[in-house]
Amino acid sequence: MESILSFCFAVMITPLLPTVIQKVKAYIGGRQGPPLLIRYYTMIKLFRKGSVYSTSTSFVFKLGPVVGFVTSLMLLFFFPMAGIEPIFSFHGDVLILFYLMGLGRFFTILAALDTASPFEGMGAAREAFFATLAEVTIFGILILFYRLTGSLSFNEFFSGNHVINLMGEYGALLILVVVALYIVMLTENSRVPVDDPATHLELTMIHEVMILDHSGPDLALIEMGAWFKLLFYSAFLSMLINPFHADNVLLNGLIFYAVVTFIYITIGVVESVTARYKMNVVAKFILMPFILVFFVIILTMGVIQ
Amino acid sequence: MNTLFLSLSFILAGGLVALLLSRYFTLMKLAAIVTISAGCLIGLSSSLFRLFGSSTAATASWDWMHIFILSFKLDSVSAFFLIPIFVVSPLAVLYSFHYMNNKEKSLRTAVNYFFFAILVASMVLVVLAANIITFALAWEIMSLSSYFLVVYDYQVKANRRAGYLYFIFAQGGAMFLFAAFALIYSYTASFDFVGLAAMPDSVKLIVFLLILTCCGSKAGVMPLHIWLPYAHPAAPSHVSAIMSGVMIKVGIYGIVRFYLLLAPTSVLFGQIIIALGIISGILGVVYAIGKHDIKRLLAYHSVENIGIIMMGLGVGMLGMATGNKTMAAFGFAGGLLHVFNHSLFKSLLFLGAGALIQQTGTAMIDQLGGLMKKMPLTGRSFLVGSISISGLPPFNGFISEFLIYYGAFHGLTPYGVSFFPSALVIISLALIGGLAAACFSKVVGIVFLGEPRNDSYARASEAGMLMVLPQLVLAAACLVIGIWPHYFVQASFQAIPLVADFETTQFMPLMTNIARTAALFLFLFIIIEALRRFLYRGKEITRSGTWGCGFTQPTVRMQYTGTSYADTMTDFFRPFVRIHKKYSGIDKIFPGQTTYSSHVQDIFEIGLNSLVVQPVLYVIGKLRWIQHGNIQLYIGYIIVTIIVLLLFF
Repeated sequence: MESILSFCFAVMITPLLPTVIQKVKAYIGGRQGPPLLIRYYTMIKLFRKGSVYSTSTSFVFKLGPVVGFVTSLMLLFFFPMAGIEPIFSFHGDVLILFYLMGLGRFFTILAALDTASPFEGMGAAREAFFATLAEVTIFGILILFYRLTGSLSFNEFFSGNHVINLMGEYGALLILVVVALYIVMLTENSRVPVDDPATHLELTMIHEVMILDHSGPDLALIEMGAWFKLLFYSAFLSMLINPFHADNVLLNGLIFYAVVTFIYITIGVVESVTARYKMNVVAKFILMPFILVFFVIILTMGVIQ
Repeated sequence: MNTLFLSLSFILAGGLVALLLSRYFTLMKLAAIVTISAGCLIGLSSSLFRLFGSSTAATASWDWMHIFILSFKLDSVSAFFLIPIFVVSPLAVLYSFHYMNNKEKSLRTAVNYFFFAILVASMVLVVLAANIITFALAWEIMSLSSYFLVVYDYQVKANRRAGYLYFIFAQGGAMFLFAAFALIYSYTASFDFVGLAAMPDSVKLIVFLLILTCCGSKAGVMPLHIWLPYAHPAAPSHVSAIMSGVMIKVGIYGIVRFYLLLAPTSVLFGQIIIALGIISGILGVVYAIGKHDIKRLLAYHSVENIGIIMMGLGVGMLGMATGNKTMAAFGFAGGLLHVFNHSLFKSLLFLGAGALIQQTGTAMIDQLGGLMKKMPLTGRSFLVGSISISGLPPFNGFISEFLIYYGAFHGLTPYGVSFFPSALVIISLALIGGLAAACFSKVVGIVFLGEPRNDSYARASEAGMLMVLPQLVLAAACLVIGIWPHYFVQASFQAIPLVADFETTQFMPLMTNIARTAALFLFLFIIIEALRRFLYRGKEITRSGTWGCGFTQPTVRMQYTGTSYADTMTDFFRPFVRIHKKYSGIDKIFPGQTTYSSHVQDIFEIGLNSLVVQPVLYVIGKLRWIQHGNIQLYIGYIIVTIIVLLLFF
């Protein structure tokens, strides 16, 4: 019951959180920013609309948003938000979830190529390449987590005797992992400095340019999928850095979502103070967390017994 | 065992019938297809019965030329490797009915069926072989018959070259096989596969390396893969499907069989296999991304998948050597299941490629586009094959990769020799998975989606019914294994006798969970799709051109091409990939004709050419004076040789 409530709450709150980033950026830029509930309004607006489909497209174009949305939603079914046991969990679920994310990306890329637009093809090529590099880092992190907990499940990473936490055992190793995961989060969710969702030139975009031709409910599904994914990554990070643990479920949840919001705020700050990297630097930037994680893996050979 | 020989006689009879009826084109095809398929189905039922039913190994043997004994044995490993042979062959031969539709080449088609039958039969015999003579004999028949299949279009010079290259690799590999057998015979003094485990460790290693060279060159393990990207584009597509889907797995069978016979205890075996697997896997997919010819691209993907299979087997071997039973069981099972899965989706992709080449007349990815609308069924099954080969759930490729991951994670033991290889396997698998998905999104996206890039194939339409049907069957099989993996996983766990007593309770709940996750995914997919339809109900849906970001004169030539899609990725791996670019440049205010071409080169091919072929040619060139064309002197050579032999031996 708790699991289902936690899941529903996470789904309900996702549209709110990205607005935090926008608010922070507006504040630093000396502007007021949009109302907090703007994403909900946008959703309602998009769901009411119809769509324009390009004559070049086939059924794959319409499949893209649905598959992308479902794969992102699946993450929330398996992730223990605030340490509350998720709805589903088994030894090995992390593998299938990261591969499901790959499936979502595969269809987003196909939908982009289906439009026959050179811009979208360009975005698709970048997304395919950068995501591959980020995925390698993720599996490096999984190697470390397996060493720490002997498990391959999100739930078991954050429950039981060996909770993975910055304050817990081997927390020093996790500092590097947190940095790595943060960069992976920026990459996978198309944030600055890898990708700039707010840029005015399609040539320089990655994710945003791939969905140029989507409209109406299709676009709404894509947007929501993206928010789920961002929530998943920031929840993952929060579980690592959250130092508090209360016995009360409600209080625990409150602290957890406060830490999640903090991460969204840091994203907003990062976006305000940095610019997007040039494309040829991006690959190096994404490889950096892999180097960190690989270093951690080598360290574990000596530290963990 | 008798049913298997019955199935073999059916298959061979199919080949002979084709030769006899070569004057009646359609009848010949029908007769060959029906007979060969019937033989395969008999064989399939027999091997399935062996795998799931009885547990004793069936044997048979008879004299051959009064000197040698041909002996055969059907155990669980053989039965497992027989299944892909018997599943893919009938589908490929069915496909050939509409694919081989040139009536003028009737005799050649008949010969093709004849060698096809021989190839299928010889693969079965290799897998069943129970002594050195039988193995070598069947192996050679397999190599030769597939050579004749490759050079079907022998009038094209490139195809003859490809066939020649394949011939050299097959026969060069066989030399290593004979060397290994000679070494085995010198220790065991028997033609039978007995007493191999009792040989000294150093000899075991040498024998294994020799076998690995032979079987590796057949399987397409880097750096012995060079024949694959040439032979596959040359061969007819149903032959490519058989060769890439099934025949290269016979090479893997050789490695597995001799590993089991040698029963080594050293960790070195597993480490060698893992290292080769990682090299083949990563570089295979990197080269594949850069290729322009769809069949060549698929050939490099075979190299990649052989790499994944080798990683799985290597993890298994390492697990055996370190006494880590979970790691061993999951590694072997993952590797073997990937053998089966790859035979399904790779033959599916080759059949699809054959259909689109037949319809459009080109295999160049950058020339194609928008085929999903013209060939809806081929396009959809190709899409399924692409998802499967990228290892994405809920399709079959994911299941076997999952097992390998699982085994490798269980090899991450503290202070173990298996830690570092296991970590490398996990990271490589992640990299390969991402790159394979990138590569196949390129193929599907460029070839099947978007707009046609030129109008030369404007009238292309769906391929013949019998060409589509096998693809649909294979695509359905890929999905079924992804959603109900239990029996297939169980079969691959039971295949290896070393881990056959592994408790089913250790992997069955896991499979149930994966199946549930896949089901959950499909369930949510259907719900959301229904919701989407509901949201669109009664709304205005318009169709118009793609948004050109303000540009109003788009042409189909402006679409992103496969080359540009791949450019950043191949560029990233540059020390291992040589890219040749030719660009004429723009130098006038009103530019004239500009050209650009790029070509990705395989460093192993360059290396083999400059380090082996050129030096050998140089030395042989120096000895050319021996071959002068004077027949009297040739007879003189023979006499001198005989005298020397008589005097000294």
